Amino acid sequence: MDPETSTTPEMNFSILGSAAPVLAPRVGKLAIPGRQAISTPHFVPLTTRGAVSHIAHDVVRKETAINSLFIGLEDFIEKKHPAPLYKTPVAPGESPLRRFICAPDDMPMILAPRRFPSIPCPPTNTETSVAILTSVGFRQLTAHQYVEAIQKLQPDIAIGLADIVTAKPPGTRRREKMVDRTHAFTRDALEQLYGSSVAEGKTSKAAYFAPVLPLENAQQLLYLEDLENEFREHLSGLALYESTSLSFIPENIGHLPRLLLSEPVTPHEILREVSLGADLMTIPLIGACSDAGIALDFVFPAPASTQERGEPQPLGIDLWPSKHAKDTSPFKKGCECYACRHHHRAYLNHLLAAKEMTAWVLLQLHNHHIMDQFFAGIRDSIQQGTFDEDVYAFNRAYDSELPSQSGEGPRFVFLSLPSYLCPSNKGTIRLRGHYIAPRQGTNHPKRMQKVYGRLDDLSEKFNESQSSVATPDTDAEGLERHGFAEKV
Amino acid sequence: MSTTAEPARKAMPSALTFDRHAKCSTTKARASTLKLPHGDVPLPIFMPVATQAALKGLTYDQLRDTGCMLCLNNTYHLGLKPGQEVLDAVGGAHKLQGWDRNLLTDSGGFQMVSLLKLAKVTEEGVRFLSPHDGSPMLLTPEHSISLQNSIGSDIIMQLDDVIATTSPDHARIKEAMERSVRWLDRCIDEHKYPERQNLFCIIQGGLDLELRKQCCEEMVARDTPGIAIGGLSGGEAKEEFCKVVDTCTDILPEHKPRYVMGVGYPEDIIVAVALGADMFDCVWPTRTARFGDAIVSSGTLKLRNRQFADDFSPIEEGCTCTCCRSKEEGGLGVTRAFIYHITAKETVGAHLLTIHNVHYLLNLMKNVRQAIMEDRYPALIRQFFSNIYQGDKSKYPEWAVGALRGVGMDLLADE
Repeated sequence: MDPETSTTPEMNFSILGSAAPVLAPRVGKLAIPGRQAISTPHFVPLTTRGAVSHIAHDVVRKETAINSLFIGLEDFIEKKHPAPLYKTPVAPGESPLRRFICAPDDMPMILAPRRFPSIPCPPTNTETSVAILTSVGFRQLTAHQYVEAIQKLQPDIAIGLADIVTAKPPGTRRREKMVDRTHAFTRDALEQLYGSSVAEGKTSKAAYFAPVLPLENAQQLLYLEDLENEFREHLSGLALYESTSLSFIPENIGHLPRLLLSEPVTPHEILREVSLGADLMTIPLIGACSDAGIALDFVFPAPASTQERGEPQPLGIDLWPSKHAKDTSPFKKGCECYACRHHHRAYLNHLLAAKEMTAWVLLQLHNHHIMDQFFAGIRDSIQQGTFDEDVYAFNRAYDSELPSQSGEGPRFVFLSLPSYLCPSNKGTIRLRGHYIAPRQGTNHPKRMQKVYGRLDDLSEKFNESQSSVATPDTDAEGLERHGFAEKV
Repeated sequence: MSTTAEPARKAMPSALTFDRHAKCSTTKARASTLKLPHGDVPLPIFMPVATQAALKGLTYDQLRDTGCMLCLNNTYHLGLKPGQEVLDAVGGAHKLQGWDRNLLTDSGGFQMVSLLKLAKVTEEGVRFLSPHDGSPMLLTPEHSISLQNSIGSDIIMQLDDVIATTSPDHARIKEAMERSVRWLDRCIDEHKYPERQNLFCIIQGGLDLELRKQCCEEMVARDTPGIAIGGLSGGEAKEEFCKVVDTCTDILPEHKPRYVMGVGYPEDIIVAVALGADMFDCVWPTRTARFGDAIVSSGTLKLRNRQFADDFSPIEEGCTCTCCRSKEEGGLGVTRAFIYHITAKETVGAHLLTIHNVHYLLNLMKNVRQAIMEDRYPALIRQFFSNIYQGDKSKYPEWAVGALRGVGMDLLADE
């Protein structure tokens, strides 16, 4: 892993080949001063509270090719403002965020108001703020606070604030409001960060990615016009919430990098989004597969050996089933990730059954590696001019969906939530951190109800005791087979 | 003893060498090197516990980075998952977990008796009802050794008759001690690979020093490659604990490693080293890390406390672990504030603190060994206690003062 560090004075995005084709895949390079350059199309690794889930910082550095971090400001907001993050002592010009989350100096950091995927908040957004979910409950993040965060925290890229309605499809009026508010958020932020009123030398160095709303072209025309004209000089990129938006990006901002905040659930969907011209993408699928015990297993372009099999191959391997118990082959043959170089399926199968955290560490390392390779293959294919054929062949060579999950996810459940906040009404949720989907429909919980900050010691201790006080989950014959004891 | 009628004993080969380098001129502390099939282990040593063949989210490269040469797996857990058949198929626990340094396994008896309430110990072995279907089952010394042979650990432990040291039933304690000796013979007989796995006996006898002495004599006669002192992590008073260790080490041969099982906290280890013990294990450093507790020279920091929310110092100033070293020193530059922010909310928080805590204990042992080599262990002990109690000698625990006095060192005296 030999990252190339950019030395240009400000963020620079260069598209290889034809200038800015519309609705076509493209290869580019995003260079941020002092940071690793990112070849696009690429994915942006997601973080929880500033850390890549399950992968400790030293392992990120030594054993992954992770070259950017997507960070949600809401993960850092506490009851009192300013939160501790802002008080991080730094050298002049250094980012407190970088120091706080212990990110390497050359790691590009992308700051968004909310983490991704974000959980719908029952409180609604307002004219001046958006609703967020913090570890101390629902809060409002004002546009002003967010601009201040960009100024103080100095991310490399800042995703602009947008009025997004997540709970249900917005009506006509609400859609108008979304546009008006987002328009205003963008105008104000650009003015405050880079405008003429900002003292010389004080303009923000963060590259601003303006949101494009998940609405039809016609509904946000005025806003898009301003993006391509009035706001143009301060824009460094665009943040899109759905791939449809790629079809109506105004021509003279077509050369800006496009970060697509979508949730593709298969590699086929990723390819589709790339084919429409996405440059950077968020892929929660990686973490979801790791949590589910699934090791991704696909290559782009599909190798001839895979295509020749005659039937679609699985996109991943579910490592829960006991058929892997004695299998000392790597997750994926020939894979060069840390997990495949050092471990085998039998170990992963054991770790999953034993509910050991190391299982998710190894799966994350593998799945991030597979996705790295996948995107490298995509870039090559586009440059070779064979992307369309390769996609066609890939779609035929592999199953259309990932294998379904047969085991449980991580046992790292920290919060016991009231049942009304849980999608399944089971009283707890499986996601780490504190993200839960509020129940749809009426009967919403009271706003700002205090359900967080009450880390459930008991459930954690219980989990702990389960690991150290394992009780056999097999019968007498099983124990005998395991050489554990004999029946008498 | 019931074992006196035993016929000639099976010769006990050893798959280790024990080189003693130095002995403290004041206390009974020793510095040595234990050469095991998977590498040399500097003694005295702390062994992290990877219960189910994984060290709580750490990769084995991260564990290697802390300098660890020997860690534990639990036979009880590996017997349940993945089980003997898988262990045999895979080729043992080293290959299962991708760890090329040394492993030690316990016998599984401790967990069996403490976890399965209906367990009953008979001469044959531990009888219990299968928790799943209620069938009566029997775990014998032969089962335990066979399983540990399949695991392939470098040090294996005999199955012993474990009872709480706090048990008031003296007859039962005596019976347990004597039975442990008889079971040791069965373990020796069953042990298939003495040339590559070192069987350690376990001294029993509760808090009765006479029983302990008898047990030592009986077991030393069996000439196992190493010796463990068992039954001491059950909540007995620290004074009693120290007396037992002190009594045993007086009798045990100088040329064999001594392992005090399930101990412990840094204070316990520092004192037990002075009493002549070499090896220790405890789940506490790794378990406590998951709850946000950092082990530092002044004691334990509960980093989930609000007071650390904006404390931007490293977990411990001057610590050389990967987390605490600053970015400028090639480390991660993890601060207390970041641990507060992430602990118990994301597994990475547990990983980071586990690295620190394991490093703390291994580094402590490294310093201990160095001090013994340079014959200044008493000074290290003084500094250690002074750090924890901020130099206030009135707060020093009496058990520690007493135990150290017993080996010729006055902890309260000014150097």
